[in-house]
Amino acid sequence: MATTPPSPTAQPRSFSQAASSAVPVIQLRNIEKIYQTKTIETVALSQVNLSIGRGEFVSVMGPSGCGKSTLLSLMGLLDEPSGGTIEIDGRPVASYSDKGLAGLRNHKIGFVFQSYHLINDLSVLDNVELPLLYRKGVGNTERRRRALAALDKVGLNARTGHFPAQLSGGQRQRVAIARALAGDPEIILADEPTGNLDSVMGEEIMDLLLGLNRDQGTTLVMVTHDEQQALKTQRLIRFFDGRQVA
Amino acid sequence: MWNRKRANSLLMLEVLLAFVVLFAVSSLGVSLWGNYRTPLGFAYQQVWAIDISTPGLAGRAPRTEALQRIGQHLRATPGVLCVTRHAGNTPFANANNTGDVSTGTGPDRRVVEPVNYLDTGPELRELLGLHMQEGRWFDRRDEAANYRPVVITTDLRDALFAPGQSPLGQTIQGPKDWHETWRVVGVSGPYRPDGALHEPVPGVFLYASAQDTVHALNGLLVRVAPGAGAVLEKKITDDIRTLGAGWRGTINTLDEQRLSQLKVNLSLPVILGVVCLFLIVNVMLGLFGVLWLNINQRRAELGVRRALGATAAAVSRQVLGEILVLTTFGLVLGLLIAAQFPLLGVFNVKASVYLTAMAIAAAGLYLLAAGCALYPSRLAAGIQPAVALREE
Repeated sequence: MATTPPSPTAQPRSFSQAASSAVPVIQLRNIEKIYQTKTIETVALSQVNLSIGRGEFVSVMGPSGCGKSTLLSLMGLLDEPSGGTIEIDGRPVASYSDKGLAGLRNHKIGFVFQSYHLINDLSVLDNVELPLLYRKGVGNTERRRRALAALDKVGLNARTGHFPAQLSGGQRQRVAIARALAGDPEIILADEPTGNLDSVMGEEIMDLLLGLNRDQGTTLVMVTHDEQQALKTQRLIRFFDGRQVA
Repeated sequence: MWNRKRANSLLMLEVLLAFVVLFAVSSLGVSLWGNYRTPLGFAYQQVWAIDISTPGLAGRAPRTEALQRIGQHLRATPGVLCVTRHAGNTPFANANNTGDVSTGTGPDRRVVEPVNYLDTGPELRELLGLHMQEGRWFDRRDEAANYRPVVITTDLRDALFAPGQSPLGQTIQGPKDWHETWRVVGVSGPYRPDGALHEPVPGVFLYASAQDTVHALNGLLVRVAPGAGAVLEKKITDDIRTLGAGWRGTINTLDEQRLSQLKVNLSLPVILGVVCLFLIVNVMLGLFGVLWLNINQRRAELGVRRALGATAAAVSRQVLGEILVLTTFGLVLGLLIAAQFPLLGVFNVKASVYLTAMAIAAAGLYLLAAGCALYPSRLAAGIQPAVALREE
């Protein structure tokens, strides 16, 4: 039966507070993901068993099309597996309703995408406020305060009135990270966060993510093609043809 | 939403166009419905209009004499309850005789136009069951009057005289080229011989005695007993034929004339209604198309919102809410345009008609916008964030 998570008016860390530190924050068991059309069946992930501990910084590597982004979508509850179970804080996500999953994403997970996925019609500040817009009990003033604090963390508090099109790639990714931070999530899922940036910018973003993990204990799962960056994380998982190979 | 100026302008233009069409249709509908609901002011059942043809009689005097003979004969005919002479503009005949009526002189002169001139005999009140509001109907005293006696309708009284001023005994002037002064002897209720859908026009009943040969009263109106039908109709036409060589009477019941006129009067609104319906369907399709395109262009944005915690219902509500806000802006623009109609008195239609039409069009617009946005909003709610984000 579908259920709804605890009240979204609770503090951002309410989910993790309820969970034991021994329980993995994300647990994947026998995950399968198959994309099926009328004529073709594509196996994106097969028999994936993975456990992400609280406060871990895990990087996922593999060639293009090996299922890394699909894995991240499943972990971020943006998609449903074809088989197997996903648990967040020890609780299977299949038991959540659409509203419950939306609440989990909003409270617990922050996303950073390779192509930023900022809303071009909204200012930097409005983009960062977005996750808090869907959180009950957070008023305008509080929303603004938290968004400004998140922008301050990424060093962009002077750009609040700008629009994404007026920013460089590195700045846009910082805004995306600020947006992920605004909701104070326990987990950040980053899909090739430096993929569209030059090496200097990439290093800056990587330092930012490492700082978040180190200083705030944020759990990070990062998909990357960059071996050097992957080696800076605590654990490296390799995928090939939809299977975990290391 | 405020920063998507181009896409929103297109939507607002669609909304404005939809409002204009809805306002036009509503104005016409409200006006016609108001007219239809206004009482005609007379009883047309069991009343026949007889058009008399008397070939060979030249001039009004012999023709008046012929009508008198026919009238006397009809009065004595069993089944005929009442007979009166009448000009050609009998009720529902699609014939009218209008002009101006004035009172006073110099700066105090008041002119009302158009006014229905209704030349008739003294029996008309009983025949059509007219209701008197003030004064009296025509009687024998009027045969010797200095000025031609008239009975005016309440709407003419209200337009011609100041509130509280009694029109009884007052003189009023007909059209200049007639050089006639009339004396008001009574005020009747509204009288609408032009039919239920026609805008009410003030009227003046002009007295014509049985011997009147000056004014053109070439037809007869007859009230018959309930149940009288084809047999009486045949007897009357046969009798008219025997009263004079070549005389002929053509009978139409007012009931038939009313239905026939209603069909004619309805044809234009029906055609306009169909055209407007076609326009509304086109506008709806346009609005739907723009919304559908808008949602498809925003798939990534909506996917991001879903990823950040928006429920499907929240996305659907957001899309609907945005449309309703844009509809409100389009509506405000439309109302600014529509407000000019009552302010300028366009087409001489009452302000209340336009105001009611504005309210109906506004309500219709919200329904239309919500209806058009329903499917796109569901489409938006059904966007899978993983798919939408991958598309980018």
